[in-house]
Amino acid sequence: MQTLYLAVVMLALLAVIFGAILGFAAIRFKVDGDPIVDQIDNLLPQTQCGQCGHPGCRPYAEAIASGEAINRCPPGGETTIKALADLLDVEAIPLDAEHGSEAIRTIAYIREDECIGCTKCIQACPVDAILGAAKQMHTVIIDECTGCDLCVEPCPVDCIDMIPVDVTPISWHWQQPEHLIATSMLPHNHGTPDHA
Amino acid sequence: MRKIWNFHGGVHPNENKTQSNQLPILAMPTPKQLVLPLSQHIGKSAKAIVMAGDYVLKGQLIGCAQGFVSANIHAPSSGYVSELGQRTLPHQSALAGACIVIDTDGKDQWIGLTPVSDPASLSKPDLLNLIEAAGIIGMGGAGFPSVVKLQPKSDINTLIINAAECEPYITADDRLMREYADQIIIGIEILQQLIGQPICLIGVEDNKPEAIAALNDAIDQRLDQKTGQKSVQHRNIEVCPIPTKYPSGGEKQLIEILTGQQVPYKGIPADIGIVCHNVGTVKAIFDAIVLGQPLIKRITTVTGKAALNAGNYEVLIGTPVADLLNFAKVDLTQTSRLVMGGPMMGFTIQDTQTPLVKGSNCILAAADLELAPVADHHSCIRCGQCEVACPVDLLPQQLFWFAKAEEFDKAQDHNLSDCIECGACAWVCPSQIPLVQYYRYAKGRVKSINSEAHLAELARQRFETREQRLVDEKLAKEEKRKLRAAAAAASQAAKRTANPTLEDPIAAALARVNKKKQEQLTAAAPKSPEQEYKELKTAAAITRTKLKKTSTALANAKALEHEQTASLQHTVDQLTVKAEAAQAQLKAYEAKLGLDPEKEKTLQITVAKTNAAVRKLEKSLTTAADPQTLEKDIITAKTAHQIATQALAKYQDSATVVPVPVPAPAQES
Repeated sequence: MQTLYLAVVMLALLAVIFGAILGFAAIRFKVDGDPIVDQIDNLLPQTQCGQCGHPGCRPYAEAIASGEAINRCPPGGETTIKALADLLDVEAIPLDAEHGSEAIRTIAYIREDECIGCTKCIQACPVDAILGAAKQMHTVIIDECTGCDLCVEPCPVDCIDMIPVDVTPISWHWQQPEHLIATSMLPHNHGTPDHA
Repeated sequence: MRKIWNFHGGVHPNENKTQSNQLPILAMPTPKQLVLPLSQHIGKSAKAIVMAGDYVLKGQLIGCAQGFVSANIHAPSSGYVSELGQRTLPHQSALAGACIVIDTDGKDQWIGLTPVSDPASLSKPDLLNLIEAAGIIGMGGAGFPSVVKLQPKSDINTLIINAAECEPYITADDRLMREYADQIIIGIEILQQLIGQPICLIGVEDNKPEAIAALNDAIDQRLDQKTGQKSVQHRNIEVCPIPTKYPSGGEKQLIEILTGQQVPYKGIPADIGIVCHNVGTVKAIFDAIVLGQPLIKRITTVTGKAALNAGNYEVLIGTPVADLLNFAKVDLTQTSRLVMGGPMMGFTIQDTQTPLVKGSNCILAAADLELAPVADHHSCIRCGQCEVACPVDLLPQQLFWFAKAEEFDKAQDHNLSDCIECGACAWVCPSQIPLVQYYRYAKGRVKSINSEAHLAELARQRFETREQRLVDEKLAKEEKRKLRAAAAAASQAAKRTANPTLEDPIAAALARVNKKKQEQLTAAAPKSPEQEYKELKTAAAITRTKLKKTSTALANAKALEHEQTASLQHTVDQLTVKAEAAQAQLKAYEAKLGLDPEKEKTLQITVAKTNAAVRKLEKSLTTAADPQTLEKDIITAKTAHQIATQALAKYQDSATVVPVPVPAPAQES
């Protein structure tokens, strides 16, 4: 009988000790925030355009972390979807057309003589890329514009254009050689049947 | 004899140098127009400091360096600035870029120069300033501003002069060394003075024996001049012939050949105590210091089977390629490809108006079949020859797969960034795969991905800062509002304490409203029985009318077999109940008041009947034959009428609802 008591006491003691260790570890090695959200956020293009239906990239990252589809980011396009699929170990799915399609990168340009200085675009810009003050001409800081398009709609005089980004000798790079290999050039029967 | 090492890989393409190195350098006359790109170097482009229409002298500063890694640009000849515009750049992309265009006047008038005959008398900063002001950049092709490399952060024990000129066809440095060996040696002495008198090794491929001999002679003469001795131990400049092998002229390859040391990964030669300069740069530094001339000209090889007068030409920077080709009698009809640079690393140009810049060492006008045609490539057969040829010890085949599959992370793990794009792998490839283009593509993508990531990070920071700012502003507003409310309350309280008779405006307003409400209630309370009776009567009448209307509608619907019949029937049923209820209520009220509309009606009818009888009798009286009888009847009828009227009056007196005067609200207030 004494052996039984001893075993019970010993087990109880062990449980208390390990519980204490676990409790200590939970406090000592506490992880603040949700690291997966940061990782997802890092993969998103940070355009802050809201095309995904969330007010910015981080909210979408949070939504993805809690199970939303990964194919709602048109500025990121296939590349982002692929990167997200790799990170989350899910299948890469095509871009959801409902949220827009992949377009070439543009930046906003204010036709300055038409600007009336209403500051509406400044309030709309999610990344503070528009400079100006009330009743003063506004202009876009080109290097900081993400091309999100959000300033175009609020402009009461329609003086904002989205202009595709020019290729400069600095930003230009070589294209991949065409995937044309000699063996694929063998004569095939391409033409229509001979109706002579 | 100094020990010479070897580097991994390398190839031996046909040299093709004799076509252009036989004749002396020929100075090309000033072209009509000069086009000077503002960015001819690595780093920030220069800023134009002249305007269209300005007259500039030869050697005048027209583009000012911006920042540490940048270079000045000078007018190569005198004339008028005709335009600041976009012209095709001598760049792989063939894109247009900002250029200063000068229409030369043919006078070739120099700006005032300040030559320094004894460079040893100048201090280090003065020398650096002169080199910087002259806009000198690496003349080997990469175009890195030289002055940056002449201010090393670590001690330098070896100065290496790159005169290997390993690329086929090009002989500009060869001819330069043969003809300007003495100036090159003086230039080297200036460099040695700048970086702490290290020993100097001039690496020259052994396919240029004349150049080697010329340099050795120049060194001997210089020693003779300075010390009167020719002994080898006094030399601190040594010409090192190296075996001909492409790409021995690569900076890191040449360092390995001459010193046996390798530049560390992601490091620069200065990390191992070495500085490397091109021999053309040394000549430009001599010109800048001893002659006082900025970098406005260079030696360019024109070669290829399509060039009748193949050779080396001293050209002004900014000369359009077309003028040089014309001067060298290049038959453009025979030219299948026009290459700027050598056949291994150069690029094809389409626009012959492209200007020659500080780094343009060769124009290769290749006839048909002179260069390998751009063929469709075959599949990789994994032969591994590219690995054998790679001078940087990379795995070109792996890099090719990764670049093709766009797996840039893996390509970077295989040190893609160390690739010098020499083209040795593509040269040996039996499948003729354009390997270098794959690497350039991968490098370009890596660069753009990184820059996008950088911009995205900045955008993210700005977005988060903005969000935080908006939240802060909201909180601040709320805080302010609260403070204002508190201040208002305090001032009210202060007013009240100062003047106790003053009543609280809110309380007063509330009191007023309450009072008004109360008044309305009391006004509505006593309803006269007459009024109530009337209302009940109206209500009963309304329900009756409604019932009647709906019944008609129901009848119509039934006749037409309309689908609403059921709902109408329901409404009719409800209305019937309501109408009955209203009638009952009315009756009950009448009973309560003691009213009997039936009796009143009967009495009224009697009055009307008797009245009618009297009228009838009176009417017939005028035509009657027997008036007496009639008059009697009239009196009887009148009496009956009177009795009936009295009875009605009596009833009305007894049963009329006592009219209670409706109290006017104004009466009380």
